[in-house]
Amino acid sequence: MNPVLPEEAVEFGASASRAFAALGGVDAARRAEETPSLRAGEVAEAMVALGIDELDPRADPDTLAAAAALCEAAGRVALPYPLPSVLLRDGSGLPFAVVPDTHCRVDHGDLFGGWRVATLDGTATTASSDGAALGSRLGPFVADLQAGDALPPARDDVALHLTLTAWHVLGTADRAVELAVDHVRTRMQFGKPLAAFQAVQFQLADAAVAVAGLRELAHFTLWRLADAPTTALADVLALRVHALDVARSVLRTGQQLHGAAGVCDEYDISVLARHVQPALRLPCSAERTVAELAAVVERDGFDGLFPHGGSAVA
Amino acid sequence: MDFDLGEPAAELRTRLRALIAAHIPEGYLGAFSDDPADLDMAQRFCKTLADEGLLTVAWPTEYGGAGGSVWEQTVVREEMWAHHEPRGAQYMGLNWVGPAIMAFGTEEQKRRHLSAIAAGEVIWCQGFSEPDAGSDLAALSTRATPDGDGWRITGQKIWTSYAGMAQWCVLAARVGEGQRHEGITMFLVPMDAPGITVRPIKSMLGPHHLNEVFFDDVPAGADAVLGGVGEGWAVIRRALAHERVGIARYARCERLLSALGRELAPVWDHLPPALHTQWARALIQVRVARLLAYRTVRAQETGEPPDVMASAARIAVTQCDQQVAELLFQAIDHESLDSGATAPLHGAIEDHWRYAQAATVASGTIEVQRMIVSKALLGGRS
Repeated sequence: MNPVLPEEAVEFGASASRAFAALGGVDAARRAEETPSLRAGEVAEAMVALGIDELDPRADPDTLAAAAALCEAAGRVALPYPLPSVLLRDGSGLPFAVVPDTHCRVDHGDLFGGWRVATLDGTATTASSDGAALGSRLGPFVADLQAGDALPPARDDVALHLTLTAWHVLGTADRAVELAVDHVRTRMQFGKPLAAFQAVQFQLADAAVAVAGLRELAHFTLWRLADAPTTALADVLALRVHALDVARSVLRTGQQLHGAAGVCDEYDISVLARHVQPALRLPCSAERTVAELAAVVERDGFDGLFPHGGSAVA
Repeated sequence: MDFDLGEPAAELRTRLRALIAAHIPEGYLGAFSDDPADLDMAQRFCKTLADEGLLTVAWPTEYGGAGGSVWEQTVVREEMWAHHEPRGAQYMGLNWVGPAIMAFGTEEQKRRHLSAIAAGEVIWCQGFSEPDAGSDLAALSTRATPDGDGWRITGQKIWTSYAGMAQWCVLAARVGEGQRHEGITMFLVPMDAPGITVRPIKSMLGPHHLNEVFFDDVPAGADAVLGGVGEGWAVIRRALAHERVGIARYARCERLLSALGRELAPVWDHLPPALHTQWARALIQVRVARLLAYRTVRAQETGEPPDVMASAARIAVTQCDQQVAELLFQAIDHESLDSGATAPLHGAIEDHWRYAQAATVASGTIEVQRMIVSKALLGGRS
């Protein structure tokens, strides 16, 4: 029993964080909103320098862990680049995304002309982009693609994409707690720092516990993917549901403790809260994901750590 | 990364489940019911575990234990709690009183107490909390004054579990004029000593869980002191450190959530969709609580300071206990008001809901855990 991420993965995540800091950290997201081509230029070059072309999450558990650490580091700065999609490119180089059943909507879909996309059940097609993005405040790089030809089912890649996206969300949530801690230690009100108020302390404690729990679940899910990939769908859906639930709650706390600054883009918390929205809403939001999870668990059970004869109802 | 608890732990789990299946009837809800036969069953099961060498899995071999790993100890905690703690009140003696005597006791105290605990023959209670010393335990005012070679103890304890059935009490009292932690001394006192009065506190938890204990000039010998005069806080810290790992509440939650589907199978598909999704979310919460508890056990294993992680785990575990309790009640609806053998899952859901109401208070309130976590986050400010 060892719930700790391999040291190599931790080191790779740290290297990635240094590279993202060199891009300006959250400023890279701000700059990319002003100049979307930054993603295909400066950011993509930094990714190549990090060696993501040689990083295949399907290869082995250690590489998957490294990819997860990379995505977490990206989530901490709202990196304007679709790392899970690029890491799961197929043999012909098409990036991969999981899309809603009824709408071929992809974050950073404008960045590449051709895509491979799949719905939650693994049904896969090609897709193409006309290069236009929504440009909205909550989905600045989200694009609606045109679905194309059918491809072989991609269930394993769906599981990996959802997992890596959850690691990105974990990074955002973890950073949101850090930003809130930094803010309440320095922001003075009523003659003392906000951190001196127990109401503030307890909100931070709850947020930190939530992120710590999400982190353990994220570790566990990586192990399940490696140890029992064919039965890991419920585990992956559970991770996604929990990542979404935790992120919404923790970001809300982080923004609230920033006061009005929590919605101002000169503060990182606001940019993180905006840029994580596509990860929270695509391919579907938490309520639809948990309904899918309930159906899968009722059918297949949810054992894995503590078998009790299965949770399956049927 | 590996979440497999290992072969010895898996074998132990199988063995414990087989023993429980053989000796504990379906529908057993623990020793603390209105039926004295339930307590007798727990006492007999402790003997069975002792005969099988499984009562002291966690104890070092030099004291007759199995020297089990932290993961084997975890399995014992989980299986016992999942099956309504069929050891009854004896878990306290096994879990921390025995180990505290090993660490702090004299040879005479070890000889007198350890073999009795290991044989499953004795129930201990813990005299810590007082009416004015709950979360702030160092404010305790029960006093021990010298009397010849020994002591006289006067004061009041409260919330004392199993005091009405215990043969021994490990008692915290103040010696001298010291403040806070100074002067606190631990005493091992037989509960039939003159001057001890136990008054049960009626509660929704059921009988035996909560009592007041009055000490009126209770005599104690010099040999009753555990760990030295004025050195009691170290013993208390050890006890609290054990309690921080805490009860494996998630194990019973998971078992009940699994059983719920089978119990309600005929009507499961007709439950409101929200209950299906809340059930799925509860399974996630339980898994997260378990994983945080495992992270604390891992810290124990590797010698990392477990305090903050342990508090995080306790927050998650106790909150999940209450959330699951409420979900189970929502699922069984009006039948939540039934109790006993004819209620859903033989009354286990109703029993769980009542007991869960104390989860965020027992062994240290959730507010104290939040103070510990926020102090670590904010660098000492709390």
